[in-house]
Amino acid sequence: MDAFLVWLQNLPPFLWVAESDSIWGYAFLLFVHAIGMGLTAGLALVISLRLLGVGTSIPVSSLRPLFGLFWIGFSLNFVSGSVLFATNATGHAHVLMMYVKLLLLALGLVVTRRLRVFVDGSTSDGIVPPSVRTTAVVCIAIWLSVIVAGRMIAYAVESAGASLTPADPAHMASLR
Amino acid sequence: MLPSNELVHLHLLLNHFPTVGLIVAVGMFVMAILRQSEELKQGSLAIMFAIALVALATYMTGYSAEKSLKNVAGVSQEIIDLHQRAALLALVLMEVTGVAAWFGLYSAHRGRLTRTHTTAMLVLSFATIGVMTGVANIGGYIRHPEILASPAAVPTSMFAPAWLDSRFITQYQYDHAWAWKSLESLHFMGLCLLFGVVTVVNTRLLGWLPNAPLDGMRKLLPWGVLGFGANTVTGMLFFIGQAFQYIENPAFHAKMLCILLAGADVLYLTWNHDVWNLEPGQTPPTAVKLLAASQVALWIGVIYFGRMLPYIGDAF
Repeated sequence: MDAFLVWLQNLPPFLWVAESDSIWGYAFLLFVHAIGMGLTAGLALVISLRLLGVGTSIPVSSLRPLFGLFWIGFSLNFVSGSVLFATNATGHAHVLMMYVKLLLLALGLVVTRRLRVFVDGSTSDGIVPPSVRTTAVVCIAIWLSVIVAGRMIAYAVESAGASLTPADPAHMASLR
Repeated sequence: MLPSNELVHLHLLLNHFPTVGLIVAVGMFVMAILRQSEELKQGSLAIMFAIALVALATYMTGYSAEKSLKNVAGVSQEIIDLHQRAALLALVLMEVTGVAAWFGLYSAHRGRLTRTHTTAMLVLSFATIGVMTGVANIGGYIRHPEILASPAAVPTSMFAPAWLDSRFITQYQYDHAWAWKSLESLHFMGLCLLFGVVTVVNTRLLGWLPNAPLDGMRKLLPWGVLGFGANTVTGMLFFIGQAFQYIENPAFHAKMLCILLAGADVLYLTWNHDVWNLEPGQTPPTAVKLLAASQVALWIGVIYFGRMLPYIGDAF
């Protein structure tokens, strides 16, 4: 397994992303990953809020096109996330938080899929049943957990600049 | 990148908005109550919201001003610290006033501002003016020793308790690793909520969700403001604790510029009540569509420059 991970992270494109100082390498992937996060988690949050009663005059069926945007966001993150993983495959593969996030992500997709079944169904413009409302609450909780788990990976794996860390107060005083 | 002396100029310019500007806006608000003019009330609320945005930049450029006065003869660090502590309290009050003003504009869509909301605006804005005047007064002493009673006298202010010192936040963030991690997690949650609302509402304004009525879409706006509020609080805590890592970072300047412009967009769209009366199937005029497109671009810019903080410039 480790042999594969080493081979993966030594492939020229991943090696370039990991080692280049270019703004279009690692930094740009992190930016793409943030936009994808905003689209997937953000749209899942808004759709859940509507099902919970925010903006009741919006017909639920009118929100169907948003799932297209959701999948654009997911695709961005599938690609950027895979490359980010590969740039330090041996590091990421040995971090528990990585698997926690992937598990939560899988749950998030399952729950969002359940909401979509309702939104795409013929009864979506009627009263939102309690079971769907419960699913919407679970959906919000899971996507927020995915965000936190993702943020924690940056601390568990050493990756320059992926997380900003507070400075030593003495250093801050010297900058003052 | 803005040279640091320009940032100092900016501080000396911007400090007039939360002080003199706020007094003018509140004067307008009182006049509007006396003349029972809803239009004038909304106009003054719009100015208060804009001042709350500008106040963020006023506070942050203060650190550049502090740095420029380092080791300058006749300048007392004690007075600067006092000014900074009082400024933090004034900033918090100003932001609360700004959010309340936004909700005033938002609910004015239904007709008029309620009596409770009007009273709350008066209490908040007068309290802010009180503290803000104190901040300005202490700020004046920094470079004008001639107005001090005696050369050694340090003015005091009950609005500047020692625990408001930014050094405490720096120390706390350093001692408690979970604090920074939690702030970052909250900042990303706020990002998702804000970006989700921005995407959905502007997608509708651009005509891609034609069957959604805009008065329903309007109900999403407070959730976007909640996301923005969460990110202003967490973001300012990052900044206050680590100010000197941010103030000279060009990515940070670009991020703040994008936020201020996006905030102006939000103000215009919230106040433009006609937009939110459009029926399903109707699309707004081209000018509004352009604003919607610019708003999406600006929030993407905010995320881009935020993500670039460690990579453009040398912060962190």
